[in-house]
Amino acid sequence: MATQGTPSILFTNTQPQQSFRLLEIPPELEDLFTSKDAPALELKSPSTALAHAVADAGGQEYVNLCTPTQTYRIRQVMSSNSLHIVRPSEGQISKADIKIVEDEVGESGTLNLPDEAVTAIAKCGSTLELHVPPGGFSAVPFLEKSLGLYDRRPGDDDGDIAMDESGELKLGGIQKLRDQVCMDIPVSAAQCETGWVEICAFVDERMKVCWRPSSRMRVNVWKRMMEGALLQGIDLEKQFLVGDLWKAVLDDDESEPFPRGLLEGVVRRLCVPDERPALADEIKWASFDKAEVTKWLGETYLASIAPTASSAVGRSEFLRAWKDCLPESWRSEATLSKLPEGCYKSPDPTSIFYVEPSQRQHVSKASTAASSTAAKAKTSRNWHELLKNSSRR
Amino acid sequence: MPSIQLHARSAAPAVTATETSSFPLTNPLPQLLQTPSGLALLELQGTINLPEYEPETSPDGSPNPNALSFETPIGKIMFPDYSLLNPDDTKWMKRVYLYVGRYQRMTGEVKKLPRPIAVLQRRAGSKTEELEVVEVVRHKIFFKNRPEPVNDI
Repeated sequence: MATQGTPSILFTNTQPQQSFRLLEIPPELEDLFTSKDAPALELKSPSTALAHAVADAGGQEYVNLCTPTQTYRIRQVMSSNSLHIVRPSEGQISKADIKIVEDEVGESGTLNLPDEAVTAIAKCGSTLELHVPPGGFSAVPFLEKSLGLYDRRPGDDDGDIAMDESGELKLGGIQKLRDQVCMDIPVSAAQCETGWVEICAFVDERMKVCWRPSSRMRVNVWKRMMEGALLQGIDLEKQFLVGDLWKAVLDDDESEPFPRGLLEGVVRRLCVPDERPALADEIKWASFDKAEVTKWLGETYLASIAPTASSAVGRSEFLRAWKDCLPESWRSEATLSKLPEGCYKSPDPTSIFYVEPSQRQHVSKASTAASSTAAKAKTSRNWHELLKNSSRR
Repeated sequence: MPSIQLHARSAAPAVTATETSSFPLTNPLPQLLQTPSGLALLELQGTINLPEYEPETSPDGSPNPNALSFETPIGKIMFPDYSLLNPDDTKWMKRVYLYVGRYQRMTGEVKKLPRPIAVLQRRAGSKTEELEVVEVVRHKIFFKNRPEPVNDI
């Protein structure tokens, strides 16, 4: 026989078995799993309340694997094959059972046992795979559900009396509050931060509460910044000190029209991305990104005055107001083509209203339907497709 | 609950209570299949039927962590074309035998996994639930064929 003389390895099964999970690693994550000082990864699922509020497309419970910057959805793939985890044997083999494998007495008159053995210590019926859905992951829908809406009108009292007692939080304290919010959001820390900046969320240092400002509030902050800058001679088209801008927006009696965190949130959102400091760091200097300010202001302003079809406003009226909010030399920038794609609709040629991002995606989804059919094939229950995939491996 | 830490392999030596006692063992598998922790993957179509195992339980009904582990022989694994003298030649990967009992043989091969697989385990001794990567495996022994009858070896 061909196998004669080939060393054989005894194969055994260990009881009790251990439990393991097998996770397929995408190439880009290999280093994170193997390198010496890789940061800890996290498995995150939304808190029950958030999972309910932000419905997943599949409508199922899920767990995401988060690296510091990326998020992956974990998918459990069942297999009809048995996948055993084996390791070198410790030699506690029942001698009584060895007949299953070997004649009791070999040619030499002794037990004909192979010298070495491996043993199965676990059996896995499924593996975990990581994937990123076509749209990627965003913290924004979760932040919108978990943060209170900040929408104060001038004159609304938000507890100025308490301000001296509680004292202001240090940067560390602010970070802590933010981390508490992000803990329940099942995306990576970096994506949480991006989402946080995107919606101008901020920590109210006095109230120790995290907020997301309404669109009206954000526009008001911007207008106030413009006015203040004009009065104090701060050129918003160049680099400026955020502290100076803050002083410029204070009322005559030095009282604050809104928390400083909100101003910083808006400044951070609009400053040149390369110069944007991490959320953990203080924002000292800033310079605005002209294109970004124009786009953001147009979209936010539209959202604040015409949030639904029934509240549509006149186009020229909107354009004029948009221009009026911009620094003098940027006025010509305000044109409908500068608005983000799909963010507005016109019921008739003269009026315009805002479309929520969640509504917009339906439009873009329809166009990418073709590409998603390929992905669908993978999750379908069509066994022809399933087998085709598995045989390719 | 919402967040569980997953630690990379090297964050802690990958040993469990049972493994510490006798490691390092010599690993009889070909070099390519050897990993620092000794773990390897073996896949087969179908299942291996083993004698019923009643886990020893503590008085409170939970599995007894100190239960003695024992091994039931299943068969033998052979790499007929593997030679220690020529480890760089990969032709041997094309043929692996798994004898089940004395009269059945499965023929399989050693395959490089399209994507490496991380073997995860709950981290022992931590109060909160934590996972760790015990090993990253890049190959598997794969038996995709049915067993065929053979004479006693």
